[in-house]
Amino acid sequence: MKTSDKMGSIKIPYNNNFLDLFISLTLFFGLVGCGQNSDEQVAPMMKPPLQQEVTTSRPPKPVPTLAKVTESTRNTYQWYCAQCHGTKGKGDGINAKLLTVPPRNHTKAEYMETRTDEQLFEAIKFGGLSVGRAPCMPAWEHTLSEDTINSLVQYIRELCQCEAL
Amino acid sequence: MTLKALIFLCLGGIFFFTPTPTQAGVLEDNHCGSCHRLNAEDTNTNPAGPDLHYAGQKFQPQWLKQFLKKPAVIRPGGLTTDPSFLQGTPDNMSPHPSFSEEDTSKLVASLMNLKSVESNFEPVGTEPLSKGQRAKIKYQFERTFGCISCHQSLNLAGKVRGGVSGPSLVNSGNRLQAEWVNHWLQKPEVFISKSRMPRYKLDALTRDQLTQFLMTLKNENIR
Ligand code: HEC
Repeated sequence: MKTSDKMGSIKIPYNNNFLDLFISLTLFFGLVGCGQNSDEQVAPMMKPPLQQEVTTSRPPKPVPTLAKVTESTRNTYQWYCAQCHGTKGKGDGINAKLLTVPPRNHTKAEYMETRTDEQLFEAIKFGGLSVGRAPCMPAWEHTLSEDTINSLVQYIRELCQCEAL
Repeated sequence: MTLKALIFLCLGGIFFFTPTPTQAGVLEDNHCGSCHRLNAEDTNTNPAGPDLHYAGQKFQPQWLKQFLKKPAVIRPGGLTTDPSFLQGTPDNMSPHPSFSEEDTSKLVASLMNLKSVESNFEPVGTEPLSKGQRAKIKYQFERTFGCISCHQSLNLAGKVRGGVSGPSLVNSGNRLQAEWVNHWLQKPEVFISKSRMPRYKLDALTRDQLTQFLMTLKNENIR
């Protein structure tokens, strides 16, 4: 259940009243797409949070046994993620310029340290929408195992040379 | 035996034993196999061009005809298996050869005979999508699944937009067979051992409607 909610899909019974409601709702909220020159404007809520919004008084969490970054983690990143995030994780992949919201620069510590490992995990598993980020970041839950996603989180930590604050 | 008779025999031999080009022969004669996989036995997993061993299950013959006469770029970022794909400057971006009307017809006929993967494709609904269904699917295409991040499509103004790491879908309604699209969305591993596209678990209705939506995307709608 959690999964489908996270996908951000809107369930509409196939009934005309609901379709009308759907259309008016979409018109109301506006469609946010990922393509350049899209008809839609990016909703302001899609902006990443400012750094000062992050509380520093978070209680320390139990440290999970960290996933290992292996050759296969790097290959997975190159195969799937680099098309948007770039081969070095700088957010400059071949799709980058064509997206309304640019792919996250995984080497930028100032931002990456404001995100917890759990948030990164969820973003990868359930897609950008699930963590209040842009839908241009797809969900990998049916493509990658949780172990792989955990190791990708650690790889991103390697790229930014940073930890969650 | 005189020299004349010998020459006559040789020429006769050539005449009698040269096999008339069979359908598969046309593809061989034009060396299509040097860049494309044409049968399931071909173990070259990294060919320079798209896999065609199921071409007859994937493409619309009219589109193949047009393409072979006047090739157009479908993968602006190159083939995902190309080693330089991620640099945006793939090696194999040399233009596709073009063919005469006569050759094209023969090539299309042989391509449409290539059907070497499972054939249990589900039928796709033919009832056109209502306006509401279309709006819903377009929303899912852009937001829920983020297809537009990697695939070019058309916006409401009829302008091309979207990412370039996947094949363009701008003309999918003319290019692809609906049942193939549906099967790809369900079981991509039938067609490619490892794609760069994320996998989706779509329910049958969403898959059917998404397929129908893709089939409405056509070049003639570009404005
Ligand atoms: C189709 C393009 C695309 C692909 C492929 C892609 N991403 Fe992203 N990713 C994005 C975009 C765009 C964002 C920025 C979203 C935002 O800032 O709202 C993003 C953001 C992220 C974030 C940061 C989320 C946050 O908290 O700000 C992480 C982590 C991430 N991606 C990891 C990955 C990994 C790992 C892969 C490969 C499995 C991957 N991405 C593949 C487009 C992509």
